[in-house]
Amino acid sequence: MVVVFSLFDADRLPNLARSGISPTNTMNKEARLKASINQKLTETGERDRLKELLRAKLTECGWKDQMKAQCKDVIKQKGLEHVTVEDLVVEVTPKGRALVPDSVKKELLQRIRAFLTQHAS
Amino acid sequence: MEELSVSSLDNSKLEAMAQDILSDLVEDACLGLCFEVHRAVKQGYFFLDDTDQESMRDFEIVDQPGLDVFGQVYNQWKNKECVCPNCNRSIAASRFAPHLEKCLGMGRNSSRIANRRIVTGNNTNNKSESDQEDNDDVNDNDWSYGAEKKAKKRKSDKNPNSPRRSKSFKHKSSTASKTNQDNEAHAPPKDSYIASSRPVGMMGPRRRLENQESPRMLMKDEAFSQ
Repeated sequence: MVVVFSLFDADRLPNLARSGISPTNTMNKEARLKASINQKLTETGERDRLKELLRAKLTECGWKDQMKAQCKDVIKQKGLEHVTVEDLVVEVTPKGRALVPDSVKKELLQRIRAFLTQHAS
Repeated sequence: MEELSVSSLDNSKLEAMAQDILSDLVEDACLGLCFEVHRAVKQGYFFLDDTDQESMRDFEIVDQPGLDVFGQVYNQWKNKECVCPNCNRSIAASRFAPHLEKCLGMGRNSSRIANRRIVTGNNTNNKSESDQEDNDDVNDNDWSYGAEKKAKKRKSDKNPNSPRRSKSFKHKSSTASKTNQDNEAHAPPKDSYIASSRPVGMMGPRRRLENQESPRMLMKDEAFSQ
């Protein structure tokens, strides 16, 4: 027998409990929906286009140079021979997320929203 | 089974989904950069673009009068003379190419000149470079075609039918041709035929009978005289 642990509490969500829809079902539904959207993004090639757009915009605004400077600091701390990909990812990724300009985020969000509304069936 | 559709989601969930996709894309970009940097570090070309300020000063472009971009003394007249690789003489740059042609013996007549120079090497050592070049120019027959030009006869003198003949000649020939034309006018036409006893249906050229002469048209004078 498989036991499914729900992240939601039934007391906190009385509407769901009353309607007979369990929290696990909604989670599965959302996960499946997200998976289908990701599949559509990949199939249509929109994901690659968005990646290229993001990369171009980030390079244009100087994000890449800032990130390389951060990487240099990490390499100097850890040592040239001892630095690993994990070290770089752990140190650099949070800063990278924070350094993405709002204008770039807005532009990409608009593109993503347009895609979602276009493929709404 | 329920259909999975984006339209069933409200705006807040749609926004959350868009944010998730965006965060995935940013994550991909960060990871890509990390992999790129790590590869550059391990391959050893990550720090190649780093430059030291002190070393940059040594390689700055020099912009001073009398010096070239490297800061070396620039002699204005030095580069106007070339050293011949064959005879090791210093020659003006403007005369270097013709000298080299004759010195190496690579031109049309230059090989003969070079051989001649080798034979008479002792005599030419005393002469200056300019004298030698003048001598070479005399011996160089590439441009001396005056004698050949004089020897040639004009074709127009030989050919009377040439369009470039003189007017007097043209006038003479025209009078001669008139008399020929008059004689030809009174002669019987070449392609005249008489009726033969062939069937009407047969087509083709009619043959001239053996005994009969070919009829000719009478000229005006002959018609009136008769």
